[in-house]
Amino acid sequence: MVTERVQVVVIGGGATGTGILRDLAMRGLSALLVEQGDLAHGTSSRFHGLLHSGGRYAVKDKEAAKECIEENLLLRRLAPDCIEPTGGLFAQLPSDDPAYAETWVKACAEAGIETKELDVGALIQKYPVLSPKITRAYSVPDAAVDGFRMLWSNVNSARRYGAKMANYSKLTAIHQTNGRISGVELTNTLTGEARQIECDMVINAAGAWAGEVTTLAGLDVSIIKDKGTLLAFNHRLTNQVVNRLRPPGDADIFVPHGTITLLGTTSVSVDDPNSFKTTDKEVQDMLAVGREMMPRIDDYRIIRAFAGVRPLYQANKGAGGRAVTRNFALIDHEQRDGLTGLISIVGGKFTTFRLMAEKTVDLAAKKLGNNTPCRTKEEPLSAPQSAEMLERGKKVFGVPGAKKAAERLGEGFAKVVAEAEQDRAKRRMFCECEMVSAAEIEYVADDDDSKTLSDIRRRTRMGMGTCQGIFCSYRTLGAMSDHKQFTVTHREFLAEFLQNRWRGVRAVLWGQQLREAQLSSEIFCTLFGMERMK
Amino acid sequence: MSQDRHLILDNCIKCNICVANCPVVKVTDQYAGPKQNGPDLERFRLDEPAAVHPSISYCSNCKTCDFVCPSGVNVATMNCKAKGEYVALNGAPLRDQVLGRVEWICKAAQIAPSIVNWAAGVGPFRAMGEAFFGVAADMPFPRFASKTFLQQFQPKKIANPKGKVLYYPGCYVNYYTPEVGLALAKVLAHNGIEMVVDDFNCCGLPTVSNGLMDAAKAYGVSNLEKLNRYIQDGYAVVTTCPSCNLMLRQEYHELFDMDTTLVTENTYDAFEYLVLLHEKGQLDTQLKALPRRYGYHQPCHLRAVGYGVPSQEILQLIPDLQVLPLDAGCCGLSGSYGFKKEKYPISREIGQNIVRAVEDTGVKQAVTECGMCQLQVNHVTGLPVVHPIELLAEAYGL
Amino acid sequence: MNKKTDVLIIGAGLSGLMAAAKAAESGKKVTVAAKGMGSLSLSSGCIDLWGYDIDDPQQVCPNPLAQIARLGEVNREHPYTKVADVLEESLRCFQGITARYGCDYRDNGGANWLLPTAVGTFRPSFLAPPSMAVKDLDKAKRIVIAGYEELKDFYPEVMAANLARNGNLPESVNIAVVKLRCAWKKLYATTLAHRLEQAEGIKEAVDQIKPHVVSGTVVLFPPVLGERLDIDVAARLSAALGAPVYEVANIPPALPGQRLQQLLLKHLRNMGVDVIIGCTFTGAKTEGNRCLQVTAEGAGKTFTFAAQTYVLATGAFVGGGLDSRIGAVREMIFDLPVCTLEKWASGEFLSMNGHGFNRFGIAVNDRLQPLDEAGQVCLENVRITGANLAGANGPIEKCGNGVALASGYKAGKLAGEVPS
Repeated sequence: MVTERVQVVVIGGGATGTGILRDLAMRGLSALLVEQGDLAHGTSSRFHGLLHSGGRYAVKDKEAAKECIEENLLLRRLAPDCIEPTGGLFAQLPSDDPAYAETWVKACAEAGIETKELDVGALIQKYPVLSPKITRAYSVPDAAVDGFRMLWSNVNSARRYGAKMANYSKLTAIHQTNGRISGVELTNTLTGEARQIECDMVINAAGAWAGEVTTLAGLDVSIIKDKGTLLAFNHRLTNQVVNRLRPPGDADIFVPHGTITLLGTTSVSVDDPNSFKTTDKEVQDMLAVGREMMPRIDDYRIIRAFAGVRPLYQANKGAGGRAVTRNFALIDHEQRDGLTGLISIVGGKFTTFRLMAEKTVDLAAKKLGNNTPCRTKEEPLSAPQSAEMLERGKKVFGVPGAKKAAERLGEGFAKVVAEAEQDRAKRRMFCECEMVSAAEIEYVADDDDSKTLSDIRRRTRMGMGTCQGIFCSYRTLGAMSDHKQFTVTHREFLAEFLQNRWRGVRAVLWGQQLREAQLSSEIFCTLFGMERMK
Repeated sequence: MSQDRHLILDNCIKCNICVANCPVVKVTDQYAGPKQNGPDLERFRLDEPAAVHPSISYCSNCKTCDFVCPSGVNVATMNCKAKGEYVALNGAPLRDQVLGRVEWICKAAQIAPSIVNWAAGVGPFRAMGEAFFGVAADMPFPRFASKTFLQQFQPKKIANPKGKVLYYPGCYVNYYTPEVGLALAKVLAHNGIEMVVDDFNCCGLPTVSNGLMDAAKAYGVSNLEKLNRYIQDGYAVVTTCPSCNLMLRQEYHELFDMDTTLVTENTYDAFEYLVLLHEKGQLDTQLKALPRRYGYHQPCHLRAVGYGVPSQEILQLIPDLQVLPLDAGCCGLSGSYGFKKEKYPISREIGQNIVRAVEDTGVKQAVTECGMCQLQVNHVTGLPVVHPIELLAEAYGL
Repeated sequence: MNKKTDVLIIGAGLSGLMAAAKAAESGKKVTVAAKGMGSLSLSSGCIDLWGYDIDDPQQVCPNPLAQIARLGEVNREHPYTKVADVLEESLRCFQGITARYGCDYRDNGGANWLLPTAVGTFRPSFLAPPSMAVKDLDKAKRIVIAGYEELKDFYPEVMAANLARNGNLPESVNIAVVKLRCAWKKLYATTLAHRLEQAEGIKEAVDQIKPHVVSGTVVLFPPVLGERLDIDVAARLSAALGAPVYEVANIPPALPGQRLQQLLLKHLRNMGVDVIIGCTFTGAKTEGNRCLQVTAEGAGKTFTFAAQTYVLATGAFVGGGLDSRIGAVREMIFDLPVCTLEKWASGEFLSMNGHGFNRFGIAVNDRLQPLDEAGQVCLENVRITGANLAGANGPIEKCGNGVALASGYKAGKLAGEVPS
């Protein structure tokens, strides 16, 4: 068995883990990121994609609000290609406490969040989907953030600094020698192969799975697993984030996100961090709340429902749901449990992932005797796409095709454009709903990190549009035939993908989405007989 | 409207029926197809108006995608709007700016129609037109009439008319085939209907097809205002051109969100109007026999209205007249489309369905409502082509 | 406008066109009107009757007609039980029509065909057009799968890998993949079909495939072998290659279904049937248990249709005949009661049980008249056909087109028998 060695093993390929990996690497520490699935397969892709202005927390948790606005402004500058500066608004309805608005405006001012009262009439004219009953509305600097893109940017940057990443690797043991961390055992979830890593430190950034990680070390960390269900609408209902101007509640944020709009979320405590299932009741409850802000919401097509599990940290057991702070906590297990070399970072939110990483690595570096200061506040996460490259892209993929590919691919965009320039057949859009070209799919498939159709989906948005993968999954599969890393049979490969999509579609099976589902059963069963395929 | 736009967009289930039936996709690999430029990219256009595929100019605006869609998605309208966005951003070639403004060409040609007709038929001129302006040399221009319809039309006073009609002739009838308008005038007068005309703008469809949306909108505003006045005075608006008809009663609203309630309700295709008259028992059915066979070509923009072929219902009242549906789909010309050098081969190829249908049926003459279709059917088959109203006028002995 | 006709068929899919063809034989005035072009172009182009054994649904059914005759014992709600009396008659009628237009749909001597698909599965089907009715694929020495690099909807390697894996072919068969290059770069199936109707398209394909053809070769193509009925692309390729050439079922758009649609439309035209596409039906006026007229909309204007018989052939959800909201399903024109099931869908997308929603539809008697919850006829001059019928699990049973054909035929026949 091969034994590798790094200074730090980071567990969890979410926003926090990838942020930590990059920060570690930038300070010159050798690090390996371990993820049980693909990057962002957990909470970092199962949230509403909102880069908070902090407005949502301003009244209740000033500290969190301040962190949000600081990180929000920082990330817009450092990672512009991962963020869509949509702006957001907070709107109040007659049923909301009118006095809350004053409190909220004041709290925002104190937290440094810029708000501006809007002309309600003009707002409703611009977005007729909004309730005509809105009484007041304010703008805030909310933004939409692409979780996949942000995470991959972190990992790519970290790799340039020498860090490593192992996806589809499950942490199966934490080795300790004399009260110190000495290494970990990883098991490849696709092949079952085990791998031993020697290290001085393990940073547990596993989010909702953090408790499972510490259990392997024989320790206990109490995480409240808080499931949030989200609905994805087929298109942008508004071009701005829409929040309800009242104390935070369920289903009151709409976030335009690329081509779609996400409505979220609920808050339900669950036991299993893998609870991605949504119930009919959750969906309907959410629509009921959403209907208040957008009265005709039932006329709009929902393409899927999905859920993510927020890891909320609770130093003292008892409170739950929205009463628990969204703040993060850094646990030094040396201090708390006497186990040297284990740090857990728990709680927090996507918007502040960089700050969480900075604090975590500050502690880790100190323990490892590294004095290099953090530079993630200054160094851009990725270089912006050159205007010339974009122009070249537009010539081969058209306007949205090029723009979306540039956002998704980062530095890989140049290569994809060059391929498409050379071969016209590669300009064809495999995913016609999300404008993903043959060239882009091949580029991502060529990458060793891509192991399933769903991996390609997450990195390209192939299959995430209106038809939910009916046509493009089959095309992608075809284009993949000569890629050796996809070793399973076509049926398993496609069935896994279709089943993943089905989970989300099934929860919203009415109207146009039911028609789409019937079309897809016509294609995969009537035409292809895949239900009996071996 | 913006809400409707969203809702219609949601109806697309990506079934590809529009792609399967698109006449352009069938014959060329240049066009990304109605679905891509329509509902697919419309999702992106909600925040990025420039989200248009450069191949959009290959859409011929035949509207086949609209009426074959089982989901009620206005695919063609989305394509038109996209073309407008594209042209607004990238500009249109001079040729398209001119071809789109049919009204200008026609007005200019009125100075000396015979010279224009002569020049339009001269090979070297056409070759130059193709080389410098990209106007297909092989596509014959229609010939200007020596006098326009409006110049020739003499209103007839009818005592106790059964109905009052404002006739909207459109550019084609006014400048090229005034005989069609004159035939309608005779038919209506014969049936006791008063008909008046006025000086209208081009309906704007050619501008829309060339992505010149501002010009189209301006035409629309001016036409609607005038039409509404007539309708309020008790006139029904009647057209003989299916494209003008579609434009007035549907497209101003779909494209520009104009309030066309009155016009939609009160605008009729000439034969639709006659069918209504017939239903009321007010149509003279004393028709003389016309022992001839015609092949009938249904213009796409008539199909797009979705009520069948009213001219067939009336023509079948004419004894001994045989009208056989050619049922060959789009003729391919699509207004100015087939006059463009790079589109001409596509247009001609689509038109081959007409050639085959003519061979199958063995007809020696054709009938169709649309002027441009008349031109194309004649161009690809060599057959003489008339408007059905001319046959009806003849059968009345007018 | 108020249009009058004897038989109004609403919907232009297989069942509607078949109903029109049969009704037109009676000499009645028949009109087909539909919101859009029917979904034949989404189908395989074959007529699936009954794919798998009632008792062992993993086994291909050896004798579909005999099994359908038994269906009344095991599933009395199945739409086949309402049309069993005309099933064979309807198949013969359909075969007769297709033969008349040079595209004779073939049966396999009463057994199912097992026809290859683009993903390399074999689908059981009862009737297939000559271009798809692959005979004795298991006896071929070599199978050449021809795909086009430029066609994004067909992957010969995928098909080849699975053909070999599915166990219907002997191990000795040699499966070769040929990836053709086309001078045209952006190919939709229809574009390629047009190219293959030209001499250069045939030559381009033949030049590239020919070197791979040995004696005993069968060549399989994606379903792009021509759009027109009068050009037999498969025969042309076959003659030039010296080997039989077939096309396989694939995702839409695919040409065999479109050709069938074209064929039936041509037949209807010859029978004097009016076909109006793009006309949206919005409601019906009824009196007692009769429909007096239906209302339709075109370019913003409302008009009406009055008929003796109305055939509802609007399809289920895909076709737009049924629409749904959370927990409720509606029939769009007559507001007929729709039979639903408590469970709309299975947890597994590829479940062998299929999905409840595919069985939703309208309950009928054996005269295809719609029934209410109490089993009473709601509208006696309305007949229900095809995917509007409740109770079939088409995607799993492989019976959609068979039900459409037989029910369309029966509705047309009954409409023709109505005294004027």
